[in-house]
Amino acid sequence: MSDIPQGLVSFDVGKAAVTMNVDADVYPLQALYGAAFIFIDRCYVFIDKPAQGQFRVTLGARGTVEDEEALRRLVGEFANELLTCAWRHQITQDNRMLIEAVTMQAIGGAAGSPSLDDLANFDFSDDAFEDPLGIAQSWEEKHGKKAGAGEDAT
Amino acid sequence: MSLAQLSPKVGFPAFFRFREVAGKVVVTNFEGNYLILEKDEFARYVEGRVTPDEPLHARLDAANFLRDTYRITEAAEAVRRRKHFLSYGPILHLMVVTLRCNETCVYCHASRANMDQVDTDMSKETAEKVVDMILDCTNPFVTIEFQGGEPLVNFEVVKHTIEYALRKNETVGKRLEFTMVSNLSLMDEDKLDYLMKHRVQLCTSIDGPEKLHNSQRKLATMDAYQKSAFWMKRINEKYVEAGLDPTLYHVEALLTTTKATLPLYKEIVDTYVSLGCKTIFLRPIDPFGFAERVRLRVEYPRSAYLEFYRNALDYILELNRQGVEILERFAAIFLTKILQGEDPNFLDVRNPAGAGIGQLGYGYDGAVFTCDEGRMLHAMGDDTLRLGHVATHTYRDIVTHETVRAMTLASNLDGQPDCVNCAYQPYCGTIPAHNHKAQGSIFGRMRDNNVCMVHKGIQDYLFEKLADADAQTLKIFERWTTLRPREHFVHDGGDA
Ligand code: SF4
Ligand code: SF4
Repeated sequence: MSDIPQGLVSFDVGKAAVTMNVDADVYPLQALYGAAFIFIDRCYVFIDKPAQGQFRVTLGARGTVEDEEALRRLVGEFANELLTCAWRHQITQDNRMLIEAVTMQAIGGAAGSPSLDDLANFDFSDDAFEDPLGIAQSWEEKHGKKAGAGEDAT
Repeated sequence: MSLAQLSPKVGFPAFFRFREVAGKVVVTNFEGNYLILEKDEFARYVEGRVTPDEPLHARLDAANFLRDTYRITEAAEAVRRRKHFLSYGPILHLMVVTLRCNETCVYCHASRANMDQVDTDMSKETAEKVVDMILDCTNPFVTIEFQGGEPLVNFEVVKHTIEYALRKNETVGKRLEFTMVSNLSLMDEDKLDYLMKHRVQLCTSIDGPEKLHNSQRKLATMDAYQKSAFWMKRINEKYVEAGLDPTLYHVEALLTTTKATLPLYKEIVDTYVSLGCKTIFLRPIDPFGFAERVRLRVEYPRSAYLEFYRNALDYILELNRQGVEILERFAAIFLTKILQGEDPNFLDVRNPAGAGIGQLGYGYDGAVFTCDEGRMLHAMGDDTLRLGHVATHTYRDIVTHETVRAMTLASNLDGQPDCVNCAYQPYCGTIPAHNHKAQGSIFGRMRDNNVCMVHKGIQDYLFEKLADADAQTLKIFERWTTLRPREHFVHDGGDA
């Protein structure tokens, strides 16, 4: 792999680890997560933020590594995956409507409309969402007269 | 004045993608029309310098490449036609009736078990539940494909499945088709009579000439090729006896392209022709689960594969020019999309891919997977693509599973770096299971992705031929894209 700009990467062959600094203005955090995740079967991956505007990624190989070249290959692969994830992140935002329309049609087409059995088995018991302001309560629940003695609650 | 009122200059390009092929430029648009331009034509097109009085303007306009005359409704209709498959669920249901197999193939270990491992047979109860799930599917046309292992090893369950499905389908009313992929070595006349009577389409595997086939696919008697060839001939005779048109009804075979296949492209095509096949599918080998020793023996760089493909295709075209009818399946799939504006719904070259929404795989124990590769990954200890079980999940649970959604999203080429700018995007597809195995994520990285390299290389070859515009080649391509349905194999609900 050709030379990496100074100060971005440091290798520790003894510990089979490499540390990379990633500019947070260039790569979104989502892309960093995406790229890091595909390494977890081969490496232990740590991400932290040592300074404002900078992420630090440490890949610790699960096995031994022979030399610095092996670590450099790891950095190269990580860099390519990071770029792919960053670009994908951008593209999926740009083409979001198209991608969503196709996905909805595909899943909707495959699933079809729910049968009566599906509806009967649907779990309505979960609270749909937290509602601290009581927005989802009926008007009567929120403002109606409380049922008192001798009165029926309506 | 609002932006909408701005009228673009005459000759201004509409959205397009391009790729240089053989000294010319292939341009494609959003809905998948294509043109092959000379370089100077392309330059004038890009710069908006094509004037209405020249023939190029008429070509660009007819194919909807101009901004000022862009016909949106026509484009939307074309996209809808290409993506017709989105309206229905899985068409292909792969049923592994057993893992047991009497053959030992060099490239197969995750998919087979020894003949004494009867615990890898599907039970009749599980088979019925699989059929129940299949018939719940939203697709009005379904294909049940019996696979293994070797499906003839568990023939009782194959028969039970067919009879149960036909009975149940009397009320469900789908168009139903059965296919079986078998090495044919356990075939006998009784089984064949049954399969003929129940109109089961048969397909086998041929790796090439006898020597190559027998060295890769081993029977204890060392005559795997002879057995397959014998039964292919016998089945073809049966089709003729049944009054079926032999040009349409004959046994087709699947090729597994290994390193040893590559230099033998002529011999392989000749073998297929001599066995009566009208189709050959030059698929590269999948990266699933080889031990290192096996990988070295069977794998090869994709550049070597593409050289093999080009040589083989040249030879196939030459044979066709001499009147031999043999079609290459990869080419036919892409050409149907390129020339006809249709999608033949081949699930591994689709956008989005077919995993979970176009196909489902059922393991012998009733586990359900997004695809056959999902089952192989499961056999290797990776359950990423397992969606549930026929005993505990409904059809809807399966197709709305988050893994299916993720794979649908991941294989959408409008969200894929490289593909968004690739001229071949309207005709292409990626395989999330392959990406997961080879590159660690279902999205993959197209720049160094083997499937992408193969798809790109094949389309380069086809567009070179289209650019050559040799009349005979174009006629052959036209024939390859003419679909002749095999209606004999289709059971309509109620005709059990
Ligand atoms: S015949 Fe099929 S299942 Fe049997 S070993 Fe060969 S590839 Fe595997
Ligand atoms: S997979 Fe490759 S060939 Fe296909 S559209 Fe994407 S970049 Fe192009």
